Amino acid sequence: MKTKDMLKDETIVGSPVKHLVVLACVLFAFWLLLSGRFEFKFLFYGVLTAIVSAWICVPLLLLPNVDGTKKYFIFDVNLGKYAMYWLWLLNEVVKANIDVVKATVKSEMVINPRIIRFRIKMDNPMALTTLANSITLTPGTVTLNVTEDGLYEIHALTDGAAEGLLEGGMQKRVADLFGEPFIYEVVEEGEEQ
Amino acid sequence: MNLAINEIIAVILLVCSLFFFLASAIGMIRLPDFYSRLHASGNSETLGLMLSCLGLVIYEGPTLLSVKIVIVFLLVFLANPIGTHILGKAALKSGHPVWTNKDKEE
Repeated sequence: MKTKDMLKDETIVGSPVKHLVVLACVLFAFWLLLSGRFEFKFLFYGVLTAIVSAWICVPLLLLPNVDGTKKYFIFDVNLGKYAMYWLWLLNEVVKANIDVVKATVKSEMVINPRIIRFRIKMDNPMALTTLANSITLTPGTVTLNVTEDGLYEIHALTDGAAEGLLEGGMQKRVADLFGEPFIYEVVEEGEEQ
Repeated sequence: MNLAINEIIAVILLVCSLFFFLASAIGMIRLPDFYSRLHASGNSETLGLMLSCLGLVIYEGPTLLSVKIVIVFLLVFLANPIGTHILGKAALKSGHPVWTNKDKEE
């Protein structure tokens, strides 16, 4: 899809022009950090390349939802809230990591590996991806599969990790972050094959 | 021998990160099946890398190089779970059995 056509596309959530500007700003900030030179010449080149790359790349960063009725832009989240979420996640990763290391290094391993399932209804594919990524990052749980209707299959290593995940705190945070309604249920073993 | 305070903190953090890498390697050998080993290889390394990056940032101080180290860490933070997920998904799709505590008694 060309960017020109994209500007008229009605299925995109939010305004395409705003998405272009946001992407150009992000790319320009990245340019500044990597180049580290602030003379006029480099700033000028930076602005130019950021705008051109944003113009080319915005259509690639639009993700259609499952039934194809809407397209979501991947940076279309509150970046401040997103950063806060990652900081919270970092804290969770550290805590869970210490638990897993304790469980595996002891002379008698305290593990109970199994597959757990839950279902969550979210329309935004970025929300589904963020949740799957967060679950895999948290030690003790690895996302094995996500189906189109939002069924997550997760391998949990210890009891603590499985229970902590099924409580649904992380799912609620992700749903809030993307402004999705929180429709969540645990799927018991044997119920779904 | 006189060490600056940031060097001491950096060394402590690097040693901690080595501990987590070691735990990851131990878990890799001890855990029973493919899925559980994914946890050891993918996850403990995230924390190990986090601590070593933090150590390097503290050693380096507030320079542009620190920012680049943070960017490297963020890249791994985003890409590491994807690799783990793809391996796990491939195993699940090909029907690899999941080891549970019931298998231990046999």
